[in-house]
Parts: sequence; structure tokens; C-alpha cells
Amino acid sequence: MSKKYDAIIIGGGHNGLINAAYLAKAGKSVLVLEKRHVLGGAAVSEEIYPGFTFSVASYVVSLFRPHIIRELNLAEHGYSIIPMDASFQPLPDGDIGLCRWGDASRSRREIARFSKKDSEVYGEFSKIMTHMAKLAKQVIDHPAPDVASINPKELAALLRMGKVFKNLGPELLQMNTKLLTMSSADFLDLWFESEVLKGPMSVSGIIGTFLGVRSPGTAYVLLHHYMGELDGAFRSWGFSKGGTGGVSMACANAARSFGAEIRTNVDVSCVKIKNGKATGVVLANGDEIESKIVVSNLDPNRTYLKMIGENNLSPEVTSEIKRFKLRGSSGKVNFALSGVPNFCRKREGLEFMKGDIAIVPNVDYVEKAYDQAKYGEFSERPYINIVVPSLTDPTLAPPGKHVMSCFVQYAPFNIKEGAENWPKLADKFGDAVQNTIKEYVPDIDSLVEHRQVVTPWDLQERFGLTEGNIFQGELTLEQLLFQRPISGYAKYKTPIDNLWMSGSGTHPGGGIMGSGGELSAKSILNEKAI
Amino acid sequence: MSKYDVIVIGGGHNGLTTATILAKSGKKVLVVEKRKILGGIAAGEEFHPGYFTTGLLHDTSGVRADVIKSLQLEKHGLKLENKRSDVVLLSKDGRSVTIKADADATAGELRKISEQDAEAYKAYQEFSRKISKVINDLMDNPPPNVDVENLTMASLVVLAKKGMLLKGLGNKTMMELLKVAPMCVADFLNEKFKTDFVKAGIASPALYGSYAGPWSAYSTINLLLWECASRSCVKGGPQALISALQKAATQAGVEIRTGAEVEKIVLDEAGAARGVRLKGGEEISAMKVAASCTPKETFLNLFDTFELEYELDYWIEKIRSRGTTAKVNLAVNKKVELNGQAVEFARTGNSLDEMEKAFDPVKYKEVTNSPFLDIHIPTVSNPALAPEGHSVVSVLVHQIPYDFKGGWTVETKKKLGEDVLKTLEIYSSGLSQAVAGMEVLSPADLEDRYTLTHGHIYHGEHFVDQLITRPVPSCAHYTTPVSGLYLCGSGSHPGGGITCAPGSMAAAAILKSS
Amino acid sequence: MPIQTPFHPRTSEHNKNLSWKDWGGYFAANSYDVVNDFEYYAFRHSAGLVDITPLFKYKVTGKDASLFLSRLIVKDISKLKLNQATYCCWCDDRGMVIDDGTVMRFGEHEYFVTAADPSYSWFSRFVKKLDVQIEDITDSICALALQGPTSREILKLMCDADLDNLKFFWTTRAKGDGFEFKISRTGYTGDLGYELWIKNEDALKLFDAVWNAGKNFNIRMSGIAALDIARIEAGLVMNGVDYHSSLHALIPEQMSTPYELGLGWTVNLDREPFMGQRALRAEKKNGSRWATVGLDINWPDLEELYNKHGLPPRTAAGAWRQSIPVYHPQHTTKQIGYATSGTWSPILKKNIALATIEIAYAEPGTEVNFEVMVMHHRKTVRAIVGKPQFYNPERKRSILKNKR
Repeated sequence: MSKKYDAIIIGGGHNGLINAAYLAKAGKSVLVLEKRHVLGGAAVSEEIYPGFTFSVASYVVSLFRPHIIRELNLAEHGYSIIPMDASFQPLPDGDIGLCRWGDASRSRREIARFSKKDSEVYGEFSKIMTHMAKLAKQVIDHPAPDVASINPKELAALLRMGKVFKNLGPELLQMNTKLLTMSSADFLDLWFESEVLKGPMSVSGIIGTFLGVRSPGTAYVLLHHYMGELDGAFRSWGFSKGGTGGVSMACANAARSFGAEIRTNVDVSCVKIKNGKATGVVLANGDEIESKIVVSNLDPNRTYLKMIGENNLSPEVTSEIKRFKLRGSSGKVNFALSGVPNFCRKREGLEFMKGDIAIVPNVDYVEKAYDQAKYGEFSERPYINIVVPSLTDPTLAPPGKHVMSCFVQYAPFNIKEGAENWPKLADKFGDAVQNTIKEYVPDIDSLVEHRQVVTPWDLQERFGLTEGNIFQGELTLEQLLFQRPISGYAKYKTPIDNLWMSGSGTHPGGGIMGSGGELSAKSILNEKAI
Repeated sequence: MSKYDVIVIGGGHNGLTTATILAKSGKKVLVVEKRKILGGIAAGEEFHPGYFTTGLLHDTSGVRADVIKSLQLEKHGLKLENKRSDVVLLSKDGRSVTIKADADATAGELRKISEQDAEAYKAYQEFSRKISKVINDLMDNPPPNVDVENLTMASLVVLAKKGMLLKGLGNKTMMELLKVAPMCVADFLNEKFKTDFVKAGIASPALYGSYAGPWSAYSTINLLLWECASRSCVKGGPQALISALQKAATQAGVEIRTGAEVEKIVLDEAGAARGVRLKGGEEISAMKVAASCTPKETFLNLFDTFELEYELDYWIEKIRSRGTTAKVNLAVNKKVELNGQAVEFARTGNSLDEMEKAFDPVKYKEVTNSPFLDIHIPTVSNPALAPEGHSVVSVLVHQIPYDFKGGWTVETKKKLGEDVLKTLEIYSSGLSQAVAGMEVLSPADLEDRYTLTHGHIYHGEHFVDQLITRPVPSCAHYTTPVSGLYLCGSGSHPGGGITCAPGSMAAAAILKSS
Repeated sequence: MPIQTPFHPRTSEHNKNLSWKDWGGYFAANSYDVVNDFEYYAFRHSAGLVDITPLFKYKVTGKDASLFLSRLIVKDISKLKLNQATYCCWCDDRGMVIDDGTVMRFGEHEYFVTAADPSYSWFSRFVKKLDVQIEDITDSICALALQGPTSREILKLMCDADLDNLKFFWTTRAKGDGFEFKISRTGYTGDLGYELWIKNEDALKLFDAVWNAGKNFNIRMSGIAALDIARIEAGLVMNGVDYHSSLHALIPEQMSTPYELGLGWTVNLDREPFMGQRALRAEKKNGSRWATVGLDINWPDLEELYNKHGLPPRTAAGAWRQSIPVYHPQHTTKQIGYATSGTWSPILKKNIALATIEIAYAEPGTEVNFEVMVMHHRKTVRAIVGKPQFYNPERKRSILKNKR
């Protein structure tokens, strides 16, 4: 008879590890089970080619909640972020492009090349967004209140959220509605005129979603840029030292320091359920491990349909979870390069390339990329978000050589040919990306030593992200807040007693935020579930 | 002393509604209409010698029965039915299905095509019926006061009532509503329906007057709003409504001046609206002014630079009203059948993907070659609109952008007319040869003729943020920051279409304030 | 990274201290030497030369330019005569100040506007159907301020302008040796002084001419640290320091009206409508909540506090810009306002500050309490409320001719 744990956490992604750390810190006995040989889930660094370390999937750290870093002492455990200063957008036809810097005046001059008006309106826009970000912070740092409930505690939570709205006044309230519902491109149209500026700004609204910049409901993601400042953490965007896996390693180290046990290469086949209660997990090899509670860090689809199984669910819940949309839309192409890929030889130095580089010359470009995806094709000229982290963190590549990580959208999981045919299309997809880059870096072909193509199919097969959705589920309003993943079970609970959830598929959603893991652990502890 | 209590700018259905209600309450009212004829977008017009339409818009299903009753329009010859008209959904492959006012009857029709669609339609209508209490409560009353800073007891009670109504739905329906409302209409319909052209036909109204394709989020709420509001129909179409309204207005003592274009709203020293100045210089004074033209026209064109407070100006400019509708009127020298039957109202679309593909070019200021159509053949029920044995085919063409890159010229309009004809040929082969006359109105023409800002038929897009606090929060209750100026057109709650609702609620607000 | 002004080749030669600041995206010398009070004294005793290129500069032209600026600005700009200049501010609808600057009239339909913040977008949005063109000339026109008692004599040596007759807040065209420029008798020091405006190409010619002419008049390069001392003595408020533009303020409490800033004198209330008129009328009628005042901080009190520790009194070196609480005359725990900037005035030998305080305490002569830090402890000393303007020499406005 093996040991009975207080909690078993399925999935050693960053949310699972954070969850484990919080539970362990509270004195609980915790076991984390990870199917792969490495920890981190999508936040993982791997040396794919000798000497070249890739952040294979997730590649920058943006919204990681600062209070989690404080509470878990992550800095002591190796959490180290190299901030990004520039955000560069190359343009075709030899233009020097647009680079936005931390230095406001410098950015103003860059933007003024395209529109004098826009260069100044930027400040006004930021002001409104700061107001809006105050609201958003309330929302992402607390479990979502249940609007259907008449429980006084839920109403109090709703009221608390309502209070933030109080000082806004009707106009800003309406602005808030606009922000929540409009498309990011339309929302930006309210202030800006330059397509060149609106291009990179609008794409932040669509990353990881199967939506276009003109799709309603994408504007609110623009807020993410303003969230960091509210935390007093300017420059919240950055690279994790040693790749994104560094974040996960820090979380794992923290969890271990509090006494959590972490095992890799352990494949969980399902949650063990007795009389509607989770009592542990069953492994693929048939072994069983017992625990008081089980926390699934897997996406809602896998948690409900695989870990629980339809036979343990009511038909209503089953149909609701099947309505949950995943629809992965992006892929990754990671390059091992023999030299620096220079995206603009007309600019001095390489500072402009040390942040992210966005291939999105204008709004229509990325919207057209989406149009193609809507009808089941990957974009021939996709939006690419490129980072060359080895420019700031030389440990990632052999001396003089570089790793270049390309986040590519759109690559719809549900491709015309059928998702299972993605492997056959991988090379074509990689070529499309490389050819797009060639328009800006003419010598790219000669620089490429290796190329790793990660299709949405690979994201599903390798990282367990159903349909390759990097956020464990579409971030559309009907799948957020009290409806993430489904209404009635939005507070990290499931229809199975003692089975909890903690991944990006729960409130407040995706990105390397850590909130899912944290809020879930705090809910478990609050309810004295263990 | 001013000669008039209220001057109403614009003699469309909303302007006339406001004017008549006010006059009936003893106010001295003048309506000034820019065009030679009354009715605005509800006016029927002779577009080719001997051929008449019954209005720019076709659909009268949203007209508010209570407004008709209170104005006693039936005494003035209006025939109102408490059910909406049948609409035929057309498929390229020759099939068609009739959507009737009665859900069961429609299900019967649908069963011929697909059992699944028949059941889905019944469930969909049942859902609409359940939520209609909440939605109609919201849309038939002035918007609730959501000014959180000054929550009064009264507004709290109103809000609580709304909340209770929402709760009265039952948790399941409420959660379903919250779930589906933000969805795109394609997802919403794909969850239930099977047949492509049926889905497309049902989805159409969700896209009218909105800058959206079926894959655009929040289109479902537009569809549900339309379903819930569609309860009636006016016999004879919009023009019949105008005729009755005009009679009622005149009888109530409303003075009407057509061919009178307002150049400016005249302000007194304190900055209050005290009349209008017409083109040509004539000034007419009044205690109050009610504008039924678009909010952008009202504030951006009828005021001088700097006359408006910047804050108001700022928010008005942010109203989105990107017109996406064109009109093609055909004079046809024969009876027209669509997919082999005589129909009065029909929609094309064929599939959600095709409708989405029609929307795609709009985003790039381009025009699709295969638009989807909202067809009205008024001669089916009223042959007098055309010479004996002939037809009028009146087509609202959707997803035609106002800001077309190519510009709206004689050539581009001709191309649009040809594309529409080509599309119609699919459903009515040989139609082209029978066309005796054709009028093509681009969105730019709609702006010119009807003073619709950017050619938007609803005076501003129907989208979540532009509903309820329509057009902007400080003007959401028909009053405006300019003392003495009221809004009474489609730009106000509950929005566009032939409903008379904004006109009637604005009149109530004007009466309340005096 | 900030960029260099056209004067940089010269200013960088003079900048022994290598102390640069970012002013509006330009490198601006904070001080030219480690010991910088001589840069200040130049303003009061000889002439200090400041590179003021980073000011935002706009050319407003068109048939409706007068009307346009009069509507936008609280002062009736249409009354400005040809070649006249004026100091003014502009507000939003709520009468809250957006920015302050100078406006000069260079033609029937041509104005020149300076501002502290980028203002192109704010101005442009009101053009609409008016015949007005706004050109941002910030990066094509550069400027030097020559301030101090000998400034007139220096300029007379290097250009042809009739400076003896150029009145305070008037402008003139001028010709130097191979270059043309404009002179306005304006400045930010409260002393006799001029600002010289020239196109970028001729920047160095102008600089060299002024510098050479000034050699016998003890001309000095002055940085913005010295400028700050002088402008506080002169009681001139600064955007971003003594008040915040209402366009950037997040909450109403961060905004100020012209009356509250002591700029009531720039407001022409009774005329055609202008931005903020309604609100300012109401404020004029109902009274303001706040006032901007000068505080004369009691020196003996401060000496006494230091004495207790056996220390000589100390003040900050140069001007300071942090917010410091001002307390009730009797109750030293009741805050009635805050100082926004201050300095030890080298010429007045006084410890002075600009402060925003509740209107009830704004009467000149009122004694309030001012917070100081002495040996790591918070204490208060007495301060006398007065007008913001501490120093106002006659030479600032006077004309030589009249004197004769």
C-alpha cells in the first residue's frame, strides 16, 4: 500500500506546480505527476539541437502575477526575467519600420513618422487603458463570482467588483463595455489612424485565439499591456533566463522546497472515482495512488472527458463540456541559426531586435491571414511574433549562433485536410514562415542550421493541449469568468467531489500568469477541502 | 414667445411619431423635412415611371403595436397584424423553405428538408419566447439608468426588477442566455441546425445594420433581439405606416414643412436649443428641438465648431456607423417567381461560410461579387405598385461598404446592379431579360438621399456597446447635454428599423421634462 | 534615447559636468558645471544662455486662426496685435488646465505657439471645418533663451533689431551676420531677457554670434537646474511639476483650473464661447477650492531645529520638485495643502516654495506650517503665505528709452 497524499496534481505545467507549491506551503502532502520527461507543460525549455535551447512552446513571460513571485519566493528559486525594451515591427520595401521603446519620447518620434496625431494620442489612450486595467486586475486576481447564485458571499464578491466601477462615471463605463465587446482593430480605430501602428497593437488581441483583429470580443486583451504597470512592475514583458522552462523550474523548486513531491514520466490514465468522489489516480501502468483530493491541470476537455469520463458525468454536463471551444489557431517554428538574423540593416546596432519582432505590417495583413484560416487553411503570409532570446541570453546557443523563436498565427488545428494530416503539412507550413521572414531577412535561408516546426497537432500530441489551443480553451466572453470552463463549475471545482482544476482552462485563462494554479490552491485551502 | 413648443427635425416614421404624440398632448409642433416627401427610409417611392417601392426598408415586423394603438393609426387606415410576415429562405440548388410566424408550422415546413432542423427550430423559437419577456422589457422601455454614481432608489428598483426578470427566466435559461449572447451566430446555429441554407437564412437578420459576418462574436444577441422584437406587420409596408402617421399628425395639429433643410440648431445665450435655421437663412424659434436625424448629423453638422462641449463631441465622434447596405430596385415586366414560387419576402445566403465570404471584402473596403440579399416583391400583395402584370423587386443588398475603395460611381453602381441581377438569376432564371428599369442606391446614395451618416440604415451600428446607452451615455435618455435638444430617431434606444419606438419614448421624455 | 538639439555641438563643448536630462525627448543640460550657482547668478547679474529647443512649437495659420486660438485658449487671442506675444493657458470643458505656453502673432493669420507638452493632436481635433493649418515645427525651429540684465546689450551687438524699443512680451525680426531670426522679449526667469527663434540650419551661426557678443558681458551657459531656481523666484508654475495636465490626470483631484494656479489673470471670461468658459464662469462666481501661493519659509525656525542637534541649518542644493505637506496654522496634523516646488533663493536669501493650499488659507500674510526633515525627523516650521512671485525686478518690463 503506497502513501496516501493530501493532494495529487495531474500535470506539471506552471499552474500545476504553483498549485502544488501553495498547497505544500500550507503543510499539505502533495504529489505532482507529469507525463513527459520534463516539467513545465507548455512553459518548457528543451535542447532540441545540440547547443540550441528552445522555449519550444510558450516563449515570453508577460502577465506572471507579481504576488505569486513574492508569496512563493520564486526569485530565490531561480525565477529570473530579462526585461524586453523594444518592440519592433519591420516593414517591407526597405522602410526602417516602427520600433516602440520604453523611452516614451523615442517611441513618440518613431510613431510620428507614420502619424503625428497618433504619436500624441498614445498617452491619452494609455490613460483610458489604465482606468480599464484597474477593473481587469480585480477580475483576474479573484475567483469569478457566480452570477447565478444568490448566496450572500457571491453577491458580496459581485458587489466588490461593482465598487471598482463606481468612480468611473457613465462614459468610462461605456468605454469598458466597448473594450470588452469590440474588436481590437475597431477599438484602436477610435483613437489611431496609422495602420502601421494599429497592426502590432491590434494583434495582441488575437494571440492564441481563433479570431481576427476585426472579430468582436478581442479588444479586451489589449489591457494586458497596461496590467503590468498597475502592479508597479514596469517592463513586465521579458524572457525567462534559460528559456521559458526557467519559470517552471523555479515553480518546481519552490514546490519542492515546501515539501511537494514531483515525478516525471508518469502517465495518469484517469481519476479514480468512488461514489462520485475522487479518491486518487490510476496510472497508465495500472498502478493506483490515493489522495484526499485530485487537482487536474489538464485542459477542461481532457479533465472531463478523459480523467473523469463520460460515464461519470450527467448528460447536461457532458454536452456543456463538449460545447467548450478549443480551436487551436497557432503554431511555433523554432530556428537554430548560424548568425544574427538582421531584420533591418538600416538601423544601428541590434538593440531594436532584443525585444519582440512582429511581422504585421498593417491591420489588413493579419485580418487576411485570418480570413484564410477561417476556411481551413494555414495563412500563407501569417502574423509572426519573433524573439531572438539568444541576443540577450547567450547561454541558449553556441557562441555567435542564435535561436529564433517564431510564434505563428494562423495555423488552425481544424485544417481542411483534417487535423491528423498536419504532420504532412508541417514542412509546407515551415516554408511559409521562412518565406515570410525572407521578405525582411533576405539571407535567412543561409542562416538556418535547423528548423523545428511545432504544428497545432504537435501541441496536442506532445503537450496534451486539446486541439492545440495554447490557452486550454478559447478566450471568448462566453468561456470566461463564471463560464470558464462551464457555468456551475467555474470555481476550480468539478462535478466530482474532491476533484479540482487549476489550468488555463479555468478562470482567468491563459498565458504564463500562474493565476489558475494560485487561485485554485487558495480556493482549496479556503474551503478546507484538505 | 416662440411660435412652436417643439420643432422636430426630420419627417420619418420616428419624427412623425414624436410630433404626433406631442401634438396630441397639446403641444404646438412643427416638423421640418429636408426632402420633398415625408417618410424618410419608410417612404415608398416611384423609382421608375409607374413602379413604386413601399420603403427603403422592407421589414415592419418590429413596429410597436402599443404605439400604433396609442396614436389610433388604425383609424387612419393602418392595418396591423399581430404576426410577422412569412419569409422564404432560398437555396441555390432550387430548394426553399418558408419561415412562418408560427413555430410549429415552420417546423412542418422544415421537416421536408431535415428532421433535425425542424426540432432545432422549435427549440430555438421556444428559447426566444422564453427570453422575449426580458428582452422586450429592455427594448420597449427607456433604458434603465445605470449611472452608478447617482443611484437613486427609483433606479435601484428598476434595476432590481430587471434582475428579477432575468432570474424569473429560471437559472437554466438565464445561464443559456448568458452563454449564447456573446457567441457568433454561426457557432450558435451550428450547434443545433444542419442545413446550410436554412442556417444562413435564419442568421441574416443578425447581420443587418451591423458591421459583422456570421463568424463575428456577439451576432447572436442581434439575432435574438430581432426574433424577440418581430411581432407584427403593417399591411402595405412602411409607406402605409407613413400615410397613416401623416394623417394622424395633421389631425393632431402638427404643422409639416417639407423641402425645409435645417442648416443649424439655433442656441440662445445660455447655450440652450431654441429653434432651427433653415438653408436659405430662415430662423424658426421654438422652446425645444427634437432631432430624428442621426446623432452624428445632429451634433457634428448642425452645430458650429466649438459650440458643443468637447466631451460630447468626443463621444459622438466615437459612434460607429459604417454603412454596409445598398438598395437595388427592379422594375420587372412580368410576374416574378423565386425558386418556382410567388413570394413576397425572401432571403438568400446559402451558407454561413458564403455569408462570411461576402463580409470579408467589406473589411478591406472592397465589394463582394456575391452579396446576400433581402428581397421584397411588394407587388405580390399590392399589384397596384406596378403596371398590370408587372412586378417590383426591391432588394436590400448586404455587405456593401460605404467607404468602397473604388468609390461609388456610375460604373461601380452598374457593376453592383449586375452582380445583384446575376445572383437573382440563380433563383429566377430569365429575370434579367424582363427588367424594364433599375435603380441602384449605394450606401453613399443612402447618405445623400436620407441624410444617413455613412449610409447607415440604423443611424449607428447595432452592437452591444451601442445599445442601451445608445447613442452615447450622456444622451441615452433622449435628452442631451444641450438643454432643450432631444433625440428622437433610430440613433436612440432601442435603435433602428421601422419600430416607432425611439420616437414614442422620446416624446414621453420631452413631455416629462416640460 | 533622447536626441540632440541643433546647438548640441556647442552645448556639449560647454557641458563640463556631462549632466544631461531628457527634456521632451531632447538632451538638455541640467547644469554645465558641478558648482552650478553661477549659472543662476548669470540670470540675475549678467546673462545666462539656455538651449530651450525642446519646447513644443507650433505654427498656426489660416483665415480662422484668430478665431480658432481664441476659442481654444482662455485668453482672447484675437486681441493680440501684430508682433505681440502673450503668456496663456488652455483648458478642457471642465475648465481644467491642459497646458500653458506663449502665443505670438507673426501675421494677420499667422501665430506661433509654444507648449510644454506635445499638443498637435489636441489642437488638430478642433480644426474641423475651420480654415486653420497647424504645423508642428518643434523639430525644425530651435531656440535659445538669453536672460539677464546684460542680455539686451549682448543682442544689440550681434543683430540689427531695435531692442531699446522692444517692449516686454513683444517680438521682432532680426538679422545677424548671414542669418535671420526672431526675437521675443519673453522668458522663464522673471528677469530682463529674450528668446531667440531660428531655423535649425542656422543654429550654430546664431549661437556663435550670441556667444561672441556676450564674452565681454560675462555670458554663461545655464542649465535647467539654474532655470528652475529663477522660475520659482519669479513665481512661474510648471506643467508636470506644480500642476498636471488634465489630459494626463487620472482623477479630478489631480487637475487644476487657471484660477487655482494663479493664472486667473490670463482668463478673458466675457466674450465669445471658448473651451472651459462655462466652468470658469461658475468658478469665478462660486469661488475656487484651491490657490497657488508662494511660501516664505521661516529661516530662524529652521536654524533653531538644526541648532537642537548642534548642526548648522541646511537646505537642498538647488531647486526641489517633490510634494511636501503644508499644515494648518495651529494644528500641525491638519494638512491644508502641499508645496510642489521650492528653492533656497540665492538673491533673496530666503527659503521659498510654490504651494497649492485651500483657499481659506491663501490670504497673503497667513502663517501656515511647513514640513521639514531635520536629522531624519519630520518637523514643521512656520511659513508666510504670499503671492507666488517673489522676485520681480523693474528691468524685466522697462524700456530704455523711457528711462532716459
